[in-house]
Amino acid sequence: MVTVKLFGTLRLDSGVREFTAEADSVRALYPQVLAEIRARKPDSAVTEKTLRACLVAVNGQQTTPRARLKNGDVVYLFPAVAGG
Amino acid sequence: MTNYCGYMGKVLVLDLTTKKTENYIWTDLDREKYIGGKAMASKILYDNLTGSETPFGPENLIVIATGPLTGTGAPSSNRFDISSLSPLTGITSSSNCGGNFGHYLKKAGLDALIIRGACEELNWVEIDNGEFVFHDAADLQDLKCGETQDTLQKKLNEAHGRQIRCGMVCIGPAGENLVRYASVISGERAAGRAGMGAVFGSKKLKAITAAGDAVPTVFDKEGAAEHRKKWVNYIRSHPLTGDQLPKLGTAGLVSSMQVHGLLSTRNYAKGQFEEFEKVNGETLAEELNVANNGCLSCPIRCTRRVPVEGKTVKGPELETLGLLGGNIENADLEQICRWNYELDELGMDTISAAGTLAWAMEANEKGIWKSGLAFGEREKLSQVFDDIAHRRGIGAELAEGSRRLSKKYGGQDFAIQSKGMELAAYEPRRAVGQGLGYAVANRGGCHLNGGYLVVLEGLGLNIDGQTPRGKADLCMVMQDLMEAISCGGQCLFTSYGVVPGFMIRNPNGLLQRAVNAVVPFAGPAVRVYNKIPEVACFNIPLIPYPTELYYTTGMKMTLGQFTRAGERSYNVERAVNARFGVSAANDKLPKRLTDAPQDPNNPKTKVPLEQMKKTYYRARGWGKNGLPGEKKLRRLGIR
Ligand code: SF4
Repeated sequence: MVTVKLFGTLRLDSGVREFTAEADSVRALYPQVLAEIRARKPDSAVTEKTLRACLVAVNGQQTTPRARLKNGDVVYLFPAVAGG
Repeated sequence: MTNYCGYMGKVLVLDLTTKKTENYIWTDLDREKYIGGKAMASKILYDNLTGSETPFGPENLIVIATGPLTGTGAPSSNRFDISSLSPLTGITSSSNCGGNFGHYLKKAGLDALIIRGACEELNWVEIDNGEFVFHDAADLQDLKCGETQDTLQKKLNEAHGRQIRCGMVCIGPAGENLVRYASVISGERAAGRAGMGAVFGSKKLKAITAAGDAVPTVFDKEGAAEHRKKWVNYIRSHPLTGDQLPKLGTAGLVSSMQVHGLLSTRNYAKGQFEEFEKVNGETLAEELNVANNGCLSCPIRCTRRVPVEGKTVKGPELETLGLLGGNIENADLEQICRWNYELDELGMDTISAAGTLAWAMEANEKGIWKSGLAFGEREKLSQVFDDIAHRRGIGAELAEGSRRLSKKYGGQDFAIQSKGMELAAYEPRRAVGQGLGYAVANRGGCHLNGGYLVVLEGLGLNIDGQTPRGKADLCMVMQDLMEAISCGGQCLFTSYGVVPGFMIRNPNGLLQRAVNAVVPFAGPAVRVYNKIPEVACFNIPLIPYPTELYYTTGMKMTLGQFTRAGERSYNVERAVNARFGVSAANDKLPKRLTDAPQDPNNPKTKVPLEQMKKTYYRARGWGKNGLPGEKKLRRLGIR
């Protein structure tokens, strides 16, 4: 189980702040993030491409979308814009 | 007089001692060289200060200068600048403000106002279509900035028998009591840095109002309208200026700074604050922001409006969130909004107030100076700020700023200031180019005057923040460009648009990663441009400023000439500061940032300052003493 937190305009636009998910890599999380956003906002413009462009941090440290995850990790997703 | 549009063609000297005005000669050649704003102010200070003046002496000058774009309707162009010999740093400094005073100063017929001398009693000055009237301000004494401005508006309306549309600058109790980092307030916006409010206070000048009917002309109205339309569309479509800043304000950077280890925490002992989510831009937007606001003519509208004491007031910027948040170990966002409001009302710079406070908390913890202030303290702070503004109890000492306090009590290694000015909330040990900028910045520890390299080192682009490679040259080119942008009268946030949107939208893309990897190696190429910017004998859409200047003023300027004007501005400021003792020895940071790694397991996480400084001086064509020589000043046409 990992905790996923959204930041920046991704969070404001989707209304999703955080949720828990099962995944062993950041990439594997994307469909679940998308599902969570769609459940909250069915007409959200966010796509998997949007998520792939996000900056990623695991347990507070910036990493790449390829990063592996383990139980208890906290994943931050920043739309690229909030990275800057 | 001037042959250029946009300008009003008039600069006046107001002598507070004699209560008389006289014309100041400022030619079109000066306009071509210095554009306006802070460059103009620096040149005026350069021509009039000898190095023997003191910040609180009547011989000190205040220069309030607009840019040619101010008040012309160009996007985000309503800024003005206040420059003077700073009581915080002891050298000349400038403070930029988005309030409406600049707009109305031009309506009153002036491009700039130079103030010298001092009033005998507290006064306020009314400028009406170029005429000056002095008013006794005894009834305004000790009034906070909001009440001062409300009272002045009422007085003007009553005196003229109608609603007067005007711009104002004023000081609060902090300025009157010579707090070294007192600000000048215009509307709700502050010329916050460097203690310009205290210089007003030393001259017993409580406020200035400006009104009039003059309108700056525009050289090519159709061309300007077309250009501005395109530019505003670009600003609105850009991910930073069209999405992030309007939705999150500058506060939107807090989370990103946290991840990059750039968020000043516990007086810069750390770069990450565990409770950052309670004080970030997202939480501010979701829980407290009730509306967006903006300076006149700005399509970005980055200002937050938050509720405090039943009123809706200006919300905190990123720097205040960082410095009154993690840097003093406070995670109460509502408190930060309240303190931000209180500090603006008292007329005090939030950055220097918070930076000094953090030093005091650490000094107290270490037993160096027992002030009773501890990290995490919340209850007492409103009172402490009031005490600073009135120089009561420990407030009298805190009003001196962290450099003076640490000289007196010790703890200079953790007084987070440069040239006496407290640093903004960007912790530079993970963005060493920003560290270089803080150290060499003419006005002291200022993120913007330092070149704002952090925007390339994680908060925009994502180049390696730890490498010193290429940073000196990048620092110079950024400083010069920002300098020139500011001289025109425009907000520096428009410069985010210089980074193409696609670079920001997908930082994980192949091209973007390649650019991020390559930029630090571009130092030599940037150096060539820095040496001969005239190679850019054209203009490009990503940097629309010179084109806007042309449509508005009729002054032809290529990108290269524009950059050169920025360089000239930077050098003239340096040259006048040299008279007040600035040299390479003053371009420094506290040891905490240069000697102690942020991550004890990673020795690279500190600022390799001396190494970068040498390259920076070479890039600038300055001597080893960190100063432009006679030849350099002549080549730039300063001398
Ligand atoms: S971007 Fe913000 S600070 Fe700049 S002019 Fe616009 S509202 Fe003012």
